[in-house]
Amino acid sequence: MGLNRKTAVIGSAVLAPFSGDDRSLEEILYEVSQQALKDAGLTMDDIDGIVVGSNDQFDGRAISIMAASGSVGGVDRDILSTPSAGEHAFVMGVLRVASGQYDTHLIVSWSPLEASSLSEAQRLGADPYFHRRLPLDESSAYALQAAALGARSPVAHELAEPICRRGRENGAAAGIDSSAIPTHPAAGHAHWPVKEGMMAAATSGAVALVIASEDHVRERGIECPAWVRGMGWATEAAFLGDRDLAAAEALEEASRRAYEEAGIDDPRSSFDLVELTGITPFQELIAYDALGISRRDDWKADIQSPRFTMSGELPVNPSGGAMALNPVFCTGLMRIEEAARQIRGKAGKHQIDGANLALAHAASGVAMMYQTVIVFGTNAEGGRA
Amino acid sequence: MELLKRQENWNITYTHALGEIASWFFVQIRDNAKIYGRRCAKSGRVLVPPRAFSDQTLEPTTEWVEVGPGGKIETFTIVYEPFHNLPEPPYAFGFVQLDGADTAIGGFFKGVDLADPAKAAEKLAVGTRVEAKFAEKRIGDLTDFWFEIV
Repeated sequence: MGLNRKTAVIGSAVLAPFSGDDRSLEEILYEVSQQALKDAGLTMDDIDGIVVGSNDQFDGRAISIMAASGSVGGVDRDILSTPSAGEHAFVMGVLRVASGQYDTHLIVSWSPLEASSLSEAQRLGADPYFHRRLPLDESSAYALQAAALGARSPVAHELAEPICRRGRENGAAAGIDSSAIPTHPAAGHAHWPVKEGMMAAATSGAVALVIASEDHVRERGIECPAWVRGMGWATEAAFLGDRDLAAAEALEEASRRAYEEAGIDDPRSSFDLVELTGITPFQELIAYDALGISRRDDWKADIQSPRFTMSGELPVNPSGGAMALNPVFCTGLMRIEEAARQIRGKAGKHQIDGANLALAHAASGVAMMYQTVIVFGTNAEGGRA
Repeated sequence: MELLKRQENWNITYTHALGEIASWFFVQIRDNAKIYGRRCAKSGRVLVPPRAFSDQTLEPTTEWVEVGPGGKIETFTIVYEPFHNLPEPPYAFGFVQLDGADTAIGGFFKGVDLADPAKAAEKLAVGTRVEAKFAEKRIGDLTDFWFEIV
């Protein structure tokens, strides 16, 4: 299944973390949207439709698109909202442009720190019958996933520390000062076996992307677009007890679809960089396996070699990823934004020279319930540039 | 300049309908201290917690099957964070596949000293045999039972 029409990211902006004291949420959404439009060289009049992804519990507003309708330019325009994941807003936007009905879209997602407890807000996501009586927030789910993985592959415990270190070092080199990041005052404690320091504390963030059709890119003469070469997404069972938490079946399915569309036969050797979602190092290992960039048996050799470092064969998370900065609800969409930015040659300090083909992996929900894979290229189709 | 913040605390009560399947499941726990799953006739899998339909085959489940009280730990964690309406931390919880079930159910682990998390984690290792224990006074909720290492 291919897209009917080629679609590309032509502009983007990130505000993460943002100060929540001198601007309201609406003012932050206005700012990040205007910055993305400016980056794309467009104005709001050039935008055909908007898709936003946000979390009502985090925002403290039912139907939180209400906060966005005015601030991101939704008044008298086509605007849709998804509460499942920020990256789902991207998928929806690309599908809408690919449908031929639209030439441009603005995608926006955000994640404030205004709830008294993100953990309590996350617990509202559990069903009220069998799971609401458990401390089942995202941190607990990450820990349950880590324990399951550690039992299946004990080497994971040994590799967790070097994975964290690489993420933090990449983040520092990319300009993220983790000591200066404002985090939630009631930030979650470590949950065994995810130890202190293995996760970046939750912070705030807002991200916006502008996407356009191949016709628009051609007519406007837009330089260096990041073409969506392949896209796949899939969802795990909602009940954690139904799942194999040491693996990621939905990610295997999502990547299969994305690779098929992009014509990727060997993901291990095809990409110039990967931006993946690993809130914990255990998630990162699970993602390696499901994405096919490092199978379980190769984990130790790959982590101990320079393979995934900035100068290695396949740099993983040049931005530092979620290990360096974790604005909870929009962390997944930020991976997509980062991978597109690399392909556009606009990643700044952490730009990978000659990046032609990039893999973006977004995961959201309880223990990576929602899995999304995007392949970006400098070329709209065909082989490597 | 002076920057203001506004604090709000909403207090809305929801009354969720459990439906026939979850109601019967919790009544058995409350009245008989027994845990049941539902069998999917198409796949033969016994789903615990029980569901009216399988989300894999999308067929209605057809039969109640008693499971447990023994089982094995599928995964666990030790939590140090306080939550509303939950026990004082630290506590251990996780998922257990009860004997006769094909999926795991969440619950708390009791009877393990959590003072040293590394030692506690060894005792709660994935695959460890446990048994469901029931409270004397039961209300028909998930906290009517917990798991102890056999």
